[in-house]
Amino acid sequence: MRGEELKGHLDAMLLAALEGGPRHGYAVIEALRQSTGGKLDLPTGTIYPALRRLEQAGLITGSWSVVAGRRRRDYELTPDGRQALTGRRADWRDFSAMVTAALEGNPWPSPA
Amino acid sequence: MAQPRLITGYLSALSAQLPAPVVAELADGLGETHQHYLRQGLGPDAAARAAIAEFGEPSLVIAGFAEVSPARRVARRLMCTGPLVGACWATALITGRAWAWPVQPAVFLLAGLVLLASIGLIVSAVAGPGYRSVVRAGLAGCAGVAALDAFLISAVLLADPALGWITSLALAASLTRLMFSARSLRWCLADAAHSLR
Repeated sequence: MRGEELKGHLDAMLLAALEGGPRHGYAVIEALRQSTGGKLDLPTGTIYPALRRLEQAGLITGSWSVVAGRRRRDYELTPDGRQALTGRRADWRDFSAMVTAALEGNPWPSPA
Repeated sequence: MAQPRLITGYLSALSAQLPAPVVAELADGLGETHQHYLRQGLGPDAAARAAIAEFGEPSLVIAGFAEVSPARRVARRLMCTGPLVGACWATALITGRAWAWPVQPAVFLLAGLVLLASIGLIVSAVAGPGYRSVVRAGLAGCAGVAALDAFLISAVLLADPALGWITSLALAASLTRLMFSARSLRWCLADAAHSLR
């Protein structure tokens, strides 16, 4: 999937990648790659500014450690980040169900 | 193990623009990516080329960080609020017959020049691709706006103490923006301490 198509969904994907626990930047990228079956086609360097944006928004928090002589920044979800992820998941389900219904001619699922 | 020259060159290009902690984080990520390709059996230079290709052009990474820099956020807020504060002051100065105030025309001219320069700097901080140039323009634009607000507040209090409602509104807007600018300058200076060496 191209970067342009991911626009607007990257933040939610990054939050989801951190749902299982703290990860550093490269581990976040690896998690995204694995969860998308390697279909994520985005310059890795552009993930880091997105992580910084989420940190500024208070959705994730970062802390420094030193691994193999290199400074490493680990990120984890904040309570606000978990709440945002839940909301974005629900929004995505509604959105994808609507687009699928429109593209495939399936009726929109009626509320139970 | 020593890093290949390609990697150190790439990190040097980033260091020329980005704050040291950001470069340290990127260096870790690039190192991990390089190791990943080494484990796949590529030689050091081929692994470095693959890692760099995966990371993207330095200009792309720098532009990504410029987009989320404190200076750009501050400049965006000043750009959004500027027309409203400006409209308040234009109305206040016209209705208060500012041209009759005991202020030297040269001072008004200087204020006008500072206003134009600040607008230019703020636009540059919002739209510029380089991190350092965004930090510099954001800092200077914010300082210019703060100086203008301080000048307008002082001038109106000295020259026209009988404040009408529109002048009071303009004063309140400038005072609020002055407090925001002072706080913003602290954020931007803290960031500049890392990125402007």
